[in-house]
Amino acid sequence: MQASSETSLSSSARLPAQGLDARSRMAVSLLASVATIALAAPEAQLMLYAMSLLYALTMRNIRMLLIAYLALLFMAALAFACAQGLHALVPALPAVDFTSMLVPFLRLAVMINVVLPLAFASRVQNLLKALQCLRLPFCIYLPATVMIRFIPTFTQDIRQVCDTMKLRGFRLSPQNCLLHPVLVFRFLFIPLLFRSLRSSEELGIAAEFKGMRADTARRRSRPYRATRWTRRDTLFVLAALAVIGTATLCQLTLSDIPPGGNGMGGMH
Amino acid sequence: MSASLFVLPAAIPSSAQTFRWSAHDLVVLGVFSAAAKLSTLVVALAGGGINPVTLLLKNLIFTTMLVVMLYKVRTPGTLVLFVLVNMLISMLLLGGSITLLPSMLGGALLGEAAAFAAGGLLRPWGPVLAVGVYDLSSKIFSLGMSWLALRESPAMLVPVAIIVALGYVGSFMGLFSGVRAVRELRHAGIVRN
Repeated sequence: MQASSETSLSSSARLPAQGLDARSRMAVSLLASVATIALAAPEAQLMLYAMSLLYALTMRNIRMLLIAYLALLFMAALAFACAQGLHALVPALPAVDFTSMLVPFLRLAVMINVVLPLAFASRVQNLLKALQCLRLPFCIYLPATVMIRFIPTFTQDIRQVCDTMKLRGFRLSPQNCLLHPVLVFRFLFIPLLFRSLRSSEELGIAAEFKGMRADTARRRSRPYRATRWTRRDTLFVLAALAVIGTATLCQLTLSDIPPGGNGMGGMH
Repeated sequence: MSASLFVLPAAIPSSAQTFRWSAHDLVVLGVFSAAAKLSTLVVALAGGGINPVTLLLKNLIFTTMLVVMLYKVRTPGTLVLFVLVNMLISMLLLGGSITLLPSMLGGALLGEAAAFAAGGLLRPWGPVLAVGVYDLSSKIFSLGMSWLALRESPAMLVPVAIIVALGYVGSFMGLFSGVRAVRELRHAGIVRN
């Protein structure tokens, strides 16, 4: 759905993180999520954030990055305002200041930085090929493939449902969502439910007629064009490991919080 | 006509007995995953940020879809598979964090265990029980993960907990709307068993 084209980048100069295999991007995403939860010192988080930002900038979609950051800021401001309001109402609840929000904010920003390039710099076909190359079990591969393939179709269906709602004089707007939730549920959900049931019946019968089973799929399922794990992918994962190692070192040397320790009171 | 013809063919195991999904079951799972993901996304976007009604509606739709899907595919392990596929796609396409996986998976396992303890998904209330336990436990586990991420400022957990609680109210209502939808679909002959 959101997959952008890599081909548009091919004509221009390639940055080191471009043209990477989806599997290496997934591995880095996994490593970053574990590291950012485990580390609690601001110095370590800043290190992770700086390096992940460099990686995010390689996708050359500054607008998307800014939108994601704005959404993150909005959520943080909302949480901060709620916490302040609750503290004013119930003084027994601990107060929140800006410095104590730094590490949670950086954690979320690191995740945004590593997930956006995975989602926006990989084409849907590359993701499907990556799924095939991962040798996932048939029971995971088939629903995942159906889901990825059907997301654009369902997007089109939702657009049609919304147009039909407009014909009936009902718009899908925040105001209507707030004032008429039952109508939104009926007008949007019921057609989608029937559409899902019909699609699943048709596709399911087609899949069974084609003899798709776990044992046959294992033999026949070969990617049309196998993705290659290149030296660049290995270097990319090694660089991510080095960054995490350096961040852990930062936490051990510059801060008094052990890795994985609670960051309470660890703000300097 | 001999009496043996009226005996159900017990020698042919159904997918519910073999713990194996047919291609048809897996396709149903994939289609419902896509529909649930997109419809909740549309409601969240149309609702314009965080407002309580949108939050309720989003969770209500997701749970209703899940209940209908579980009544269609009543194989043990379907809930766990649904969560695995959803998290995989969220991670790959929609920017979901991998840190949510343990809480969702833990919730799904608890839901399956609860349904198993109550006699399995083939029981009339098996799918509803599984989804109910899954919703509750995954939300509790998610709060635990939120505590891990926000442990430097625990006061910020209070609004998170309120949002999660509101979401759970929507999920709880979704159980009833799911049962109602299944009843209608069974009446129409779309959900057969």
